[in-house]
Amino acid sequence: MIAIRFAIVAALLAVPTALTAAWIRSADTRLAEMSAAPAELAPVASVADVAYCSPDLKRILRRVLMSCGLVGGNAARGCQPVQARNVATMTGHDFNALFKPMKDRGGIVQFDQDKADLDAGDLTMVDKVFADQRGASWFFVVARASPEGSAEHNRELSKQRAEAVMTHLRQQFKDPDLDKEVGMLWLGEEYAQLETEFCAWNRSSSAACTADQLNRSAFVAWIDCQL
Amino acid sequence: MRRQPWLLAVLLGAAGGVVFAAISTYDFVQHLDRQVHNLHCSFIPGVSHAGESGCQVAMMSPYSSVLRSAVWGGVPISLAAMSVFAFLVFYALDLLVTRRKDDPRATGFLALATVLPAATSLVMLVISLSKLGTTCKLCVCIYLASAVCLVGALGLWRSAVRGRRGEEPYARRPDHGAEPAFVGRAKSSSGARLVAVASGPATPMAFLVAAFVVGVAFVGAPVALYLALAPDHARFIGTCEGLPHPDDSYGVMLRVERGGAGGAPAIEVLDPLCPACRAFEQRLAASGLAGRIDRKAVLFPLDSTCNWMVTEATHPGACTVSEAVLCAGDKAPEVIAWAFAVQDRIRSETRADPAAAARIVKQRFPELAACVGSPEARSRLNKSLRWIVANNIRVLTPQLFIDKVKLCDEDVDLGLEYTLSNMLERHARGKLATVPLERPAPRPAASGGAK
Repeated sequence: MIAIRFAIVAALLAVPTALTAAWIRSADTRLAEMSAAPAELAPVASVADVAYCSPDLKRILRRVLMSCGLVGGNAARGCQPVQARNVATMTGHDFNALFKPMKDRGGIVQFDQDKADLDAGDLTMVDKVFADQRGASWFFVVARASPEGSAEHNRELSKQRAEAVMTHLRQQFKDPDLDKEVGMLWLGEEYAQLETEFCAWNRSSSAACTADQLNRSAFVAWIDCQL
Repeated sequence: MRRQPWLLAVLLGAAGGVVFAAISTYDFVQHLDRQVHNLHCSFIPGVSHAGESGCQVAMMSPYSSVLRSAVWGGVPISLAAMSVFAFLVFYALDLLVTRRKDDPRATGFLALATVLPAATSLVMLVISLSKLGTTCKLCVCIYLASAVCLVGALGLWRSAVRGRRGEEPYARRPDHGAEPAFVGRAKSSSGARLVAVASGPATPMAFLVAAFVVGVAFVGAPVALYLALAPDHARFIGTCEGLPHPDDSYGVMLRVERGGAGGAPAIEVLDPLCPACRAFEQRLAASGLAGRIDRKAVLFPLDSTCNWMVTEATHPGACTVSEAVLCAGDKAPEVIAWAFAVQDRIRSETRADPAAAARIVKQRFPELAACVGSPEARSRLNKSLRWIVANNIRVLTPQLFIDKVKLCDEDVDLGLEYTLSNMLERHARGKLATVPLERPAPRPAASGGAK
């Protein structure tokens, strides 16, 4: 009777012990296999790089950004009109065409003639566009002036317009990356004047859109490209 | 042999318990490989179930195992259950063979033994309903098996007590003296001995002590074996990346928990509408380790409305709720707790109406109405996402970093207590760091033959 009892105990005790041992060994084997093979991991977070970021666009962006001190360790900030033309190595029309895919990501801040002050509507637009950064790495402020007055005056006026936007961004958003992500260009009246097709863009003024009015402006937009 | 319906009930209940507890243990143990597996979640043994289920919730909960800080995942309760049921099978068979089934003391021991799984089942059922808000089909089968065992054992014991009372007048007759009566139907000498045991003197205490020891061995042996064989998961600690730029230059971190003196600095990447984040929060609270970390949160809403890294709104409304959390300032933990509580509703309503999340948030927190959706809030949330990018965080939530070292994704559920307590211990010793995973050496190629 005792032998039978022992046999039953052994048989029944073997159920949890043998099964457990077999299952653990099996899991251990799979664990070793898993450790040996590269794991499939979730993608790593990264900045946006959308479809319009063609190699050509990236090449030109890189040139402009390096020239303006945003990449490559150059301490300069902003670009002179001539520099912009040089680094872009393209016509004004082609330069403007670069920004056309960013219609939904930007806007045109319109100034009064010979002024560089931002009114309430301008501020609202700048805030709205800048707050919608999403995954973009670069924010461009491209200021211009209409042809009235001297070229030198207009160059200085467009610089003041770009700096007005930058000053507001600095005060409003207190963004530690501001100097690394905002590129300013002041083009005066000399290069890449906006054509009236940009009237269809989001503008801070609801007044009738003429070429002169359109160029008393600062074009602002996020660029969703990885460089 | 007389029919023994009560004993048969115990045998069947215990056998069923062994089967269901074994399936549950198998489901648990297969997760020791740190991978995702389907569970057998059905009233029919062996039928598997993919995706979220009551069984998944129960297994991943801190109530599915014990000794979770000593071994990765802990020792599954179902293993002990399987052992106890196996012991009940043994003891019931013993009663059947030795005919102690008519002895109140022996059957009383069985009844007591069945109280253990029955009481445990009752406790687990209450926990399932009150803490987990769900029941697991496989667990219900184990509860039922426990109940059948208990009812059968109690019935057997009452039957034995009644039978013994009926024998007492005969046994106490003066001509039988103090000796027990030999009442039985023995036809052979060996059978006579069995009958004498059955209806004779009460089962000796030594037998019951021996049975108890056997019962302890039934549970202790598999548990000891489990502890001895369980894979070493400590080697994975620190192998899952770190934070290259943990500083809060954007001011986007939210303090969610202030650890006690010496609490390890921790950063949790979370989405307030992510079910896994809510479950992680519950597990962390249940682990008792939350008080040992000084935890800050960085929001990572998996919602394409604001997050360019996902192609669709995995958690619709998460961007809006995240803005509310950022707007809340010191009350951020309160908003996160609320979001965890109502996240199912926010997600489903926002899926149908994209404006629903803002409406629900502003209804609950009217003081945040002006801030939620403002350029400042959106910009701040964007900075939170930029922090994620700067630190090369993987696109999933939740993620916990202890002093810049990531708690591996495979360790956020079953292995949480083991891994986190190990990480905290290493941090306290100044030994917590990211390390490369030591991969096993490749096996040598099969020999081409003797040289």
